[in-house]
Amino acid sequence: MTDTKRVYETPPTERPITDAEAARAAQLAANEHIKIASGYLRGTLADGLLKHATGAISEDDGQLVKFHGMYLQDDRDLRPERTKKKLDKAYSFMIRLRIAGGVISPKQWMALDHIAVTYAGSALRATTRQTFQYHGVIKSNLKRTMAAIDATLLDTIAACGDVNRNVMAATNPAQVGAHRAAYQLAKDISDSLLPKTSAWREIWLDGERVAGGEEEAEIEPVYGRTYLPRKFKTVVAVPPSNEVDIFAHDLGFIAILDKKNRVTGWNVTVGGGMGMTHGEPDTFPRTADVMGFVEPEDAIKVAEAVMTVQRDWGNRKNRKNARLKYTIERYGLDAFRAEVETRIGKTLGAPKPFAFTGNGDRFGWTEGDDGRHHLTLYVPSGRIKDIEGGAQFLTGLRRIAEVHQGDFRLTANQNVIIANVPAEQRAAIEALVDEHGLTKGAGALRRNSIACVALPTCGLALAESERYLPDLMTELEQSLASHGLAEEEITIRSTGCPNGCARPFIAEIGLVGRGPERYHLYLGAAFDGSRLSKLYREDVAASEIRDTLDPLFADYAKGRQPGEHFGDYLIRAGHVARTTNGPDFHERTGALKPAVQG
Amino acid sequence: MSRQNLLPRTAPFGDGERASLDAVLGAASPTQRAWLAGFLAGLDAAGGQPAAVPAAPPKAAAPLTVIYASESGNSEALAGSVAKLARKQGFKPKVVDFADLDVSTLPKAGKLIAIAATWGEGEPPARAVRAYGELMGEGAPRLDGVEFAVLALGDTSYAEFCAIGKALDARFEALGAKRAAERADLDLDFETPAADWIKGALKALAPAETSDNVVAVDFARAGAGEDDEAEPSREPLVVEVVEHVNLNSSRSDKETIHLALAFEDGAPAYEPGDSLEIFPENDPLLVDEILNASGLSGDEALRRALLAERDITTLSAATIERFVKATGHTDAQTLIDSGEAKAWIEGRHLIDLLETFPAKLTAEHIGTITRPLPPRAYSIASSRKEVGDEVHLAIAAVRYETHGRARSGVASVHVADRIRDGAKLRVRLKPNRHFRLPQDPATDIIMVGPGTGVAPFRAFVQERRAIEAPGRSWLFFGDRHFTHDFLYQLEWQEALEDRSLTQIDVAFSRDQPEKIYVQDRITHHAREVVSWLDGGAYFYVCGDAKNMAKDVRSALVKAYETTKDLSAVDAEAQVAALERSHRYQQDVY
Repeated sequence: MTDTKRVYETPPTERPITDAEAARAAQLAANEHIKIASGYLRGTLADGLLKHATGAISEDDGQLVKFHGMYLQDDRDLRPERTKKKLDKAYSFMIRLRIAGGVISPKQWMALDHIAVTYAGSALRATTRQTFQYHGVIKSNLKRTMAAIDATLLDTIAACGDVNRNVMAATNPAQVGAHRAAYQLAKDISDSLLPKTSAWREIWLDGERVAGGEEEAEIEPVYGRTYLPRKFKTVVAVPPSNEVDIFAHDLGFIAILDKKNRVTGWNVTVGGGMGMTHGEPDTFPRTADVMGFVEPEDAIKVAEAVMTVQRDWGNRKNRKNARLKYTIERYGLDAFRAEVETRIGKTLGAPKPFAFTGNGDRFGWTEGDDGRHHLTLYVPSGRIKDIEGGAQFLTGLRRIAEVHQGDFRLTANQNVIIANVPAEQRAAIEALVDEHGLTKGAGALRRNSIACVALPTCGLALAESERYLPDLMTELEQSLASHGLAEEEITIRSTGCPNGCARPFIAEIGLVGRGPERYHLYLGAAFDGSRLSKLYREDVAASEIRDTLDPLFADYAKGRQPGEHFGDYLIRAGHVARTTNGPDFHERTGALKPAVQG
Repeated sequence: MSRQNLLPRTAPFGDGERASLDAVLGAASPTQRAWLAGFLAGLDAAGGQPAAVPAAPPKAAAPLTVIYASESGNSEALAGSVAKLARKQGFKPKVVDFADLDVSTLPKAGKLIAIAATWGEGEPPARAVRAYGELMGEGAPRLDGVEFAVLALGDTSYAEFCAIGKALDARFEALGAKRAAERADLDLDFETPAADWIKGALKALAPAETSDNVVAVDFARAGAGEDDEAEPSREPLVVEVVEHVNLNSSRSDKETIHLALAFEDGAPAYEPGDSLEIFPENDPLLVDEILNASGLSGDEALRRALLAERDITTLSAATIERFVKATGHTDAQTLIDSGEAKAWIEGRHLIDLLETFPAKLTAEHIGTITRPLPPRAYSIASSRKEVGDEVHLAIAAVRYETHGRARSGVASVHVADRIRDGAKLRVRLKPNRHFRLPQDPATDIIMVGPGTGVAPFRAFVQERRAIEAPGRSWLFFGDRHFTHDFLYQLEWQEALEDRSLTQIDVAFSRDQPEKIYVQDRITHHAREVVSWLDGGAYFYVCGDAKNMAKDVRSALVKAYETTKDLSAVDAEAQVAALERSHRYQQDVY
C-alpha cells in the first residue's frame, strides 16, 4: 500500500506517508480507525442487516451508518423493563433525509407521508436543519424504507456523519430572486460536496458495486477514505432574516443584495458551531466569523476549499476538538483565509455590510414579489403527526399536498411553509388549514422556540426537551403576561444535552439538559443569533426555572428601552456578562447580581 | 359439588355405611377408585375369596390389535393401559400408532380396539391424518371377520365432540367388522369411565371359554402389583412460582407469562418435549356471577368447589340438556327442540346459559350440569440440565370478547392475573415421547415455533447446550412485533453467541404492510431447509394447530417441490416419509 496520506493537525506538507504510519504516528481518534477500515463506509453493514435476533448493528457500524443518514437509537422509556422481560433494548433507527434548502414538492410530501405511516409511527419530524427525519424504523424495515425514499428522488446520504450535511437556505419566498439564488447555491454545494462512494446504493438498494476504480482519487476525490474530522454544516442566508442561524454553522454564505434585491455576491462565514461538553472548558460553542466576500461564480470553489482545509487541518486525534471552530481558533482566521485563498487561487474581498433583524420565522400569509402566496405554519417542535383531540398535522398537510400546486419549504425553526400558492388557490388551502386545526402562529414565546428531540429516542439526552418545553412555556407565558410582556419576541430553545441540536447557546433563553429534570440556564444571547449566551445558573431544577426567570422578566419590563431585546437588556442591566465569542463563553459565568422581584 | 355426597341416597347401604364409604371414596384418587373397582370385580368373580395363586394362563394367547390416534398423549396412554390389562387377561396385544399404521394389515387383526382423539373442529390428530384418510377412503380393505370396539376421546367444549371416534366406529362396521362393544364418547374427565370401558371391551372381545378365568388373573396380578412400569405419578404436585414475568413489552397487546416453578422435592424426571399440566382455578368474579345467576350466592362450600373443581365456562349441547333435565326450563327446552342450540352455543359460556334462562338451582344441579375442571397442559420451556429442579413455562394469556362479554382462558388468565412470585400451583407432568430431540446429538434440528410454540425449543436449545451437542440447530420464530413480542430475545442472542443455536429466522406479522409468517421464511430459505433435511435433520413444529402447523407443512412440501423439481405428489411423499420416520414431529394445539 503506497497510498498517500494527509498529515493532520499541521498544515499539509509534501511528505507522503502510508496509512499505517499515519495512523500510528497521529494517534488517531477511534472513529478515524473505523473510517479507514470501512472500505468507504461499508463496514459490515450488509451482514449486520441479516442478524435477525437483534434490532441493533455493531458499534463500529453504528458510527458508519450515520454517514448514510441514520442513527441507531433505542426507546429509553422502555429500558427499565426490557432485561427483566428477556428482551433486548427497543432498538430502532432515526433516518434523516437530505433535502437541500428544505424544498420539496407536494408529490414528494405525499410519498414521505406514506413512508411515515407505513414504517415510522405515523410521524414526520421537521428538524432544526430544514429536513425531515423519521423515528422508530426497525432494522427489518430499513431497506424497504430506504427504497421508498429513493423512489421520491430524495436520499439520506451524508445527512449525518463526518461530512458536509444537509445544506440550508433562507426560505423567505417573498424575496423571490434572492431566495432562488440562495436555494440554488445550497443545492449546488450539497451536490458538489456529496460523498461519491456507492456504498449507500449498494447496501440499501442492493445496487451493484461500481466496477473499476479502487483508487481513492476515483472513489472519493474530495473526501478521501477518512472523510472529515467531524460534522460540517453549511447554510445560506438572505438578510434581513437570519432564520438559518448562520453564526451557528461551520460555513455560511450571506447574500449581498443590490437595491433590486438581486444577489451580487456572498459574504463567507466560517467557524460557527454549538456543541460542547459539560465540565470541559476546552469545548465551547462559537459564533462564526465573517471571512470575506466572494463573487457568485466562485462560491462553490470557496465552499470546497473551506471544507478541504478543514479536512486537512482539523484535529483527528480528539473528536471533541475537531470541528472547524477549533481549527479556526488554533490557526487563526487569517491563516485559515490565506490557505483558502491559496486553494482557490484568488483573494477574497472585504466583507460587505449586512444587517439581520432576527432568526425566527414569519408566520401566516405573505405575498411574494411575483404575486404568489406563502403560508408559514407553526408546527410545535416540528412534530408532524395527528394529535389526539388536537391538530391533525399529518392528515392536514397530506390533504393539502394532494391539492397544492406550489411546493413546501421546511424552515430551520422546525416549521413548514406552504409556498407558491396561486392567489386563486389560497382559499382552498386556508380551508384545509382550518379544518385540521393547523396553526398559523402561536404566542410570541412559542413562535420563537425550538426544542430538540431528546428523550426517549436520543441516546445523548441527559434530560427531557421536546416533551418538556411546551409545559415550561405555559408557565413562562403566565409570568411574561403578568409583566405585560405577552407579545414580546424572546427566543427560547431547549436541548437535552450540550451538543446543541436546537442551537440553545444563541437563544435569549437557553436550557441545556444536565440530568433528569435539571438544566443549565443560559441567558444574554442576541435576538438575531449573532451573540452567544452565558451560563446564568447551573443545574436548575425544572420546577425552579419559572421562579428564576420571573424577576428578570419583571426587571426587563421596567427597565428596557424601546425596541431593546431581552438578551441585550440583561447584559446592559448587569445581570449577566456578555460573551464576545467561544473562548470566553466559560468566563464570568453566573448571575452578576441578585435578581429581586419588585 | 361437595365430596360428601358421592354415593346416591338410593345406594343399598345404611346412612352410617354410606357416610363411611363417602369418606373413603371421596378422598380417593381416580387411580385408587379404578383399583377398587377392579378389586371388587375380581373379588366377586373369584367367589368372594382373594385368589392367592394366579390361575393358569390361557393356553393360546388371543391376538389383539390396539390402534390409537393421539394428539396430546391421552389416547396413547389409554392404549398402553389396554395392552397391559389385555396381557394379564391372556391376550397377545399389539399397540400401533395411527402414524405407523399399515391399513392393509387390519383385516388380519382379528380383534381390534381403536382409541381415537378428536382434535380442533372435528379433525383427526395430526399424526393420524394419513392412516385415517386411507381408512375412510375408497381403497380401505374389507374387515369381515374382525371384531372391534372404539373408544372416542373428545372435549364437549368443541362442537364436533368425538367426531373421529364416531366416524371410525361407523366405518369399521361399514367395512364388515363386527362391533363387540358399544363405543364410549368421553370428555376431558375420561380416566374413570375409560378404565371401566376398557374392562368391558376386553371382556366382550375375550374368547368365551376363558373369560371367567381372565378376571381372576387380572385381580390377582393387579393385587400383587409387580410388573407395573415406573410411570410418573398421576397425583398433582404443589410447586412454588419463583419467577413470573410478562415477556411482552408494556406496549404489546399480547401477554405471555414466563413462569419458573420450583419443586421442593426435586422436579419430576421430565425431558425436553414434555408438557406440564396446570390445575387452574376459576376467575372468582365469574364464580360469583354463576352463583348469583343461580340464586346460590350464600353457599360458601359451593363457591369453593366452583373455584377449584368444576368447569364453569364450557357450554355444550350436553350442558343444556343436563340443565333442562335439572330445571325443566321450557325456554331452554325450546332452544334444543328448535335445533338452534348448536348455533346458540357458539361463543357462549355457561354463564350465558344461566343468565339467559334464569332458574333457581341447587348445588347438586350445578354439580350435574358442569364437568370437573380439567388441567391444562403447557409445553415445558426448560431443560433440567440447565434449570435443575425447576420447570419453566411460557403461557399466553387468552382474552377475547364474544356476545358483549369479556372472556378469558381459565388456566392462562389464572396464571397471568392471579398468580405472582411466591404463589403455589398444582401441576402434573405430562410426557410426550412423540416430541423428542434426536437420539444422536450430532443430528441437525430445525425448529418452527411462533408465539408460545417456541417454548419446547427453549428446552431443546438448553438441553443441547448442556450436552454440547455438535449438531446444528435452526429456529424459526414469529409473532406480531419484533420490538414488543420477541419472546426470549436475549436468550436467543446468547444461544447464537455460544453456538447452541446456529441460526434464527424471524417473522413478525405486523411490522410491515404485508403479513409475514414463519412459513414464508421457510419458503424463502427453501433450498437450505431441504439441504438440512437431506443431511438428516429433524424438523419440529410447535404452536397453533389450526393454521400455522398446516401452513408450515405445506411450505415444506412446496420447498421440496421447488428445490428438487418434484411433482406435488412426490414432494408430499417426501414430507410423509419424514413423518413416518419420526423426523417431522409436531406439538400443536
